[in-house]
Amino acid sequence: MNEKAYYGQFGGQYVSESLMNTLDELDAAFEEAIRDPKFMEQYHYYLKQYVGRETPLYFAERLSEKYGTKIYLKREDLNHTGAHKINNVIGQILLARRMGKTRVIAETGAGQHGVATATGAALFNMECTVYMGKEDIERQKLNVMRMEMLGAKVVSVESGSNTLKDATNEAIRTWAKTAEDTFYVIGSAVGPYPYPKMVKEFQSVISREAKRQHLEVEGKNPDVVMACVGGGSNSIGMFADFIDEKDVELIGVEAAGLGIETGKHASAMALGEPGVLHGMKSYLLQDTDGNIQLAHSISAGLDYPGVGPEHAYLRDTGRAKYVAITDTEAMDALMELCKLEGIIPAIESAHAVAYAFKKAKEMTRDQSMIICLSGRGDKDVNTISDYLAGKGYLN
Amino acid sequence: MNRIETALAVLQEKKEKAFITYITAGLPDYDKTKELICAQEKAGTDIIELGIPFSDPVADGPVIQAASYDAIKNGANLEKTFDCMRELRAAQVEIPIVFMMYYNTVLHYGVEKFVSMCHTCGVDGLIIPDLPFEEQGELAALLEGSDDTILIELVSPVSGARVPKILEHARGFVYCVSSMGVTGQEGSFHREVINYLTSVKSVSKIPVMMGFGIRTAEDVRPMKDIIDGAIVGSHFINLMRDSDFSAEAAADYCSTFKKELNF
Repeated sequence: MNEKAYYGQFGGQYVSESLMNTLDELDAAFEEAIRDPKFMEQYHYYLKQYVGRETPLYFAERLSEKYGTKIYLKREDLNHTGAHKINNVIGQILLARRMGKTRVIAETGAGQHGVATATGAALFNMECTVYMGKEDIERQKLNVMRMEMLGAKVVSVESGSNTLKDATNEAIRTWAKTAEDTFYVIGSAVGPYPYPKMVKEFQSVISREAKRQHLEVEGKNPDVVMACVGGGSNSIGMFADFIDEKDVELIGVEAAGLGIETGKHASAMALGEPGVLHGMKSYLLQDTDGNIQLAHSISAGLDYPGVGPEHAYLRDTGRAKYVAITDTEAMDALMELCKLEGIIPAIESAHAVAYAFKKAKEMTRDQSMIICLSGRGDKDVNTISDYLAGKGYLN
Repeated sequence: MNRIETALAVLQEKKEKAFITYITAGLPDYDKTKELICAQEKAGTDIIELGIPFSDPVADGPVIQAASYDAIKNGANLEKTFDCMRELRAAQVEIPIVFMMYYNTVLHYGVEKFVSMCHTCGVDGLIIPDLPFEEQGELAALLEGSDDTILIELVSPVSGARVPKILEHARGFVYCVSSMGVTGQEGSFHREVINYLTSVKSVSKIPVMMGFGIRTAEDVRPMKDIIDGAIVGSHFINLMRDSDFSAEAAADYCSTFKKELNF
């Protein structure tokens, strides 16, 4: 067992033998890169000039008034391409270039990570292929078009359930075949070591900024920090710099879909059965035979049956708390944020907002919380409109 | 002694190469699975890999993916495959059988209970492509101390310096993956396949088998003098599907391959 690949009992490198050397090389290259001031300078340059960081920590006045506690929104929705995904993509593609790779591949569910990867590939002149489930291609046509405009090739994955988990399988298969010249850009805090570590490093800019911004205004740490959790990239970035601040309560919000009790949900932590998928050991939705169960959420970005290994560890050690919000609760919160603050959030992020409203009831006026607003809702307008029209949604 | 090791020792004595096939358990159903195993034992197949279907088989190409998917739809699972094994062994079917499976199936079942069921049901070996050497600790510790079930090690064309470490305590045979990536790539082997097989053979104390992408004995002719046997999976599944899982067709294919391999 490779100790450094584990977070408690979670993580590891459950991949085929052909990828083991590749993962070792990647880990060495990553560790070297983040210690090289030139590399980090370049990374921060693109975050500032291209992505548009830093993002504001916005004090949501009307929400704070209504819910009786100070609510701050970390505005990752204002990043170029509309979500936090680009932070990690810039880091990984710069690393790919440094390692001499000429091609990148990525998996995508809702299309946000695919668009971010296609964007980064265009920026750094790399060939890009994005694997996307056939079902997702149909329900996210706009993002498919964006990827193609950016020069990426979108491959329709028709195996298993035709969704994100199958797109990830296909990306892993392709990577195992082509690792010699291809870099796999994983978008979430999942996958074999060192991916969860890399994604955390490149997303931790979220909490680094937020911590300083909050301190400037409030003169102290926030009482509560929360973020939505699918695989867990925005949340691990939002938690990173607060993990050692024991007085800060960390809350991850998973998708309860139609309700945990219905079995149609995407909350890997709710039932808490560990398993192995996509190169890692973590909590995983599975059936009685140990086959992976389909996740369900109105939000395509949370529609994943597993969760990053560090989150599983934070849950077990009690450092972070994980809760779940249903489709309906998320949509109500989404509409409220639109009307009270003039911000249309991604449905993913609306899950965190919905739980914030519940949490606020236990808090006082002089306490404060930060919600990571991981993405904007432009991509979700069709889903929202179907939902509001009572037509249900494509899921 | 372990069934695989016994069978391979006999072949070595006879200076014969091993012919190994892969079939998916429960495809199209367990009666057929048993029939296909018995027919192959008679036809001269030396070892059978029995695939435990899993929802997310990342080491497999489209053919075995579809086979797994169909088997799951037909109700195949680990428990029923254990039952199937027990019935085969009770019926004096002695051909070595290796489970080819993904680690989540083992974890979900419970590693300890899984190992004890393997012993009871006559499972001779395990091939778990998503359990590389570094992650084998827990399972290997439980397998130790009994010869009944052994873990088969896989190496790939890019394993390089990892090979000696992987082979140090390896048993049965070493499974050399012929190409990067997944099963079923139809004869397109890694460009360095000869050098790679030669170097594995030079350090291996146990027989060296080649698998992934093999269809006929002709495909492995160039490496015939290096390897100790060949494994056919995807192509065999295709062949069975085309013949509507005819045991006769399977037996014909196996006896022909085995003959040509040792010609």
